[in-house]
Amino acid sequence: MATRRCVLKCGSKANFFHLPKEEHLKTKWLQFTIPQKYSPSLVLCSRHFEDDCFLNAIKLGFASRLILKEGSVPSVFASASSSVSQPMDGPMRVLVTGGSGLVGRAIERVVKEGERREGEEWIFLSSKDANLVSAEETRSVFQKHRPTHVIHLAAMVGGLYRNMRQNLDFWRDNVHINDNVLYMSQEFGVVKVVSCLSTCVFPDKTTYPIDETMMHNGAPHESNYGYAYAKRMIDVHNRACFQQYGLRYTAVIPTNIFGPHDNYNIEDCHVMPGLVHKTYLAKKEGKPLEVWGSGRALRQFIYSVDLARLFVWVLREYDEVEPIIASVGEEDELTIKDAVDAVVEGFGFKGEVIYDTSKSDGQIKKTASNAKLRKYLPDFKFTPFKAAVKETCDWLTANYDIIRK
Amino acid sequence: MDGPMRVLVTGGSGLVGRAIEQVVKEGERREGEEWIFLSSKDANLMSAEETRSVFQKHRPTHVIHLAAMVGGLYKNMRQNLDFWRNNVFVNDNVLQTAHEFGVVKVVSCLSTCIFPDKTAYPIDETMIHNGPPHESNFGYAYAKRMIDVHNRSCFEKYGRRYTAVIPTNVFGPHDNFNIEDGHVLPGLIHKTYMAKKEGKALQVWGSGRPLRQFIYSLDLARLFLWVLRDYDEVEPIILSVGEEDELSIKDAANAVVEGMGFKGDVIYDTSKADGQFKKTASNAKLRKYLPDFKFTPFKAAMKETCDWFVANYDIARK
Repeated sequence: MATRRCVLKCGSKANFFHLPKEEHLKTKWLQFTIPQKYSPSLVLCSRHFEDDCFLNAIKLGFASRLILKEGSVPSVFASASSSVSQPMDGPMRVLVTGGSGLVGRAIERVVKEGERREGEEWIFLSSKDANLVSAEETRSVFQKHRPTHVIHLAAMVGGLYRNMRQNLDFWRDNVHINDNVLYMSQEFGVVKVVSCLSTCVFPDKTTYPIDETMMHNGAPHESNYGYAYAKRMIDVHNRACFQQYGLRYTAVIPTNIFGPHDNYNIEDCHVMPGLVHKTYLAKKEGKPLEVWGSGRALRQFIYSVDLARLFVWVLREYDEVEPIIASVGEEDELTIKDAVDAVVEGFGFKGEVIYDTSKSDGQIKKTASNAKLRKYLPDFKFTPFKAAVKETCDWLTANYDIIRK
Repeated sequence: MDGPMRVLVTGGSGLVGRAIEQVVKEGERREGEEWIFLSSKDANLMSAEETRSVFQKHRPTHVIHLAAMVGGLYKNMRQNLDFWRNNVFVNDNVLQTAHEFGVVKVVSCLSTCIFPDKTAYPIDETMIHNGPPHESNFGYAYAKRMIDVHNRSCFEKYGRRYTAVIPTNVFGPHDNFNIEDGHVLPGLIHKTYMAKKEGKALQVWGSGRPLRQFIYSLDLARLFLWVLRDYDEVEPIILSVGEEDELSIKDAANAVVEGMGFKGDVIYDTSKADGQFKKTASNAKLRKYLPDFKFTPFKAAMKETCDWFVANYDIARK
């Protein structure tokens, strides 16, 4: 018998599947293989089927005999002529865009403190190194560093009020940044890119808890739709790129992140850094701490250092193209008041705490499910909230002069 | 704006572009107006530089933006990344350059095929973003949807009233009549032409029972001009015949057969999928603005299209 070859000329050496007998299914397979010449004995290799078409799990780089589920239809076109992610030899060279931000600095720290493996190179970029809105500058930086992997954190971000006036800029600049980074990664043969999404890009009208499958199920909140759509399109790009080229670029969806190196500008920033900065000032000036809202709203917080560890795990081990929510579970949701108490304790603040209930609470609850994360990492331990807050408060006190505010 | 319009039409050599060219020539053009029809030969709109050059050259006051990377089902399925990226570039270049050159109004072209896959019917203009599009062409669909996102945010920031139209199934001369790649009506026309020429039966895929709303390219062109001149909303507008004028594929096939003077057998291959049974779009908004707009009767429009195809078979895109 002649050596079997995938009809799409892939050069795969194992795991071929014949046409199904059932007419309707056979037609679908044949539609997929157009315009290749028809032959009753043609075979397709496993590369052209999504992971969930197989009864047994794939391990990258480990050739095992795969069993195709009945009724499976091919949908991935990756072929020999396109760059397909191969298991890599040798250590990684990881480029981290947005390396000087909240998450970037945390990744830098965990890499330094033990996550880095023998021979690995980690490069942390900031906007000083390249303006990623420019395709040329992005190309230069990829040419300079030739990464094998990318953690893509760079984005144009901002607080509530800035977003409302400038949806156009948030849409355009972020789409350009994301396309430049993802496209150059593909051009330069980057094996894997892990981008960063956010629970704030999810549909405004939705049921809770939200999970990874729900991101595109409706329009985002009006106030930041430019930013939200640009982030969502990372996932569209990833899925299209996998379908056309077989590249497993993916993304992480954190909930509310906090930690050192955040943006502490009170007008512009998020709830935790805002509280931390306000409490610092209240203590320093001997004034009461004013908290907006009733304190009853519930949120899931994730410490930047924990998120960083999870980013590194996703980079090394998480093979899905569908993104993954990185968060503590619903059982660890805290009220804003819990957060305030932890910050007050973190600073040893002894003054009055006033809740200005004339200010809006925002949404009472916006629970994200971390079931997928727990399926992969049932034993992952998050840093206890109070300890993480204390570290953040201590860092702010020690670095007040240089913080972004 | 003072003075007459100078209108740049991107994608000017396509199905809709040619129809606009025809209605402009045949009476829609006003005193002093200038209409420029671009094709891909004039500029590759995926390049910001080339887009800027073409705007610099023509300095339009208005733009009708029809240019896109389009394709049939199989091409879309294979190349979702290219359809996403190339169309986002084309759209961003045209919309951003238009703003930079002070273009007063841009009318872009969306499609009912970009709407959410799981949805209630009839669909209307408010529903575009309410859920993911169909898997087979999600790259193309999202790129088109983002035109609306760009328009809304551009209005918020600059007050520009850039907008878009949403046609249902367009047909007419100068279409893409490729049987593999083309849409249902041009496909039927081409197949009937071949069946007649070869003395064979006409094979129609499916049962013929699904319902569709068809709009003749010349009617669409007239409506494009009305939108350009008189429609002030940023929210897009569906351009279609009403639900009462929905036709079955069988009705459409009969009109093609009549238009081509085909006398042979018509066979419905019911083993082939029908696709969606009904995907009604509401034209209530259009009717609110133009209660008296008359669409060309379907059979007459079909006859014109068939006649054009027969007369221009050699040059037709197929």
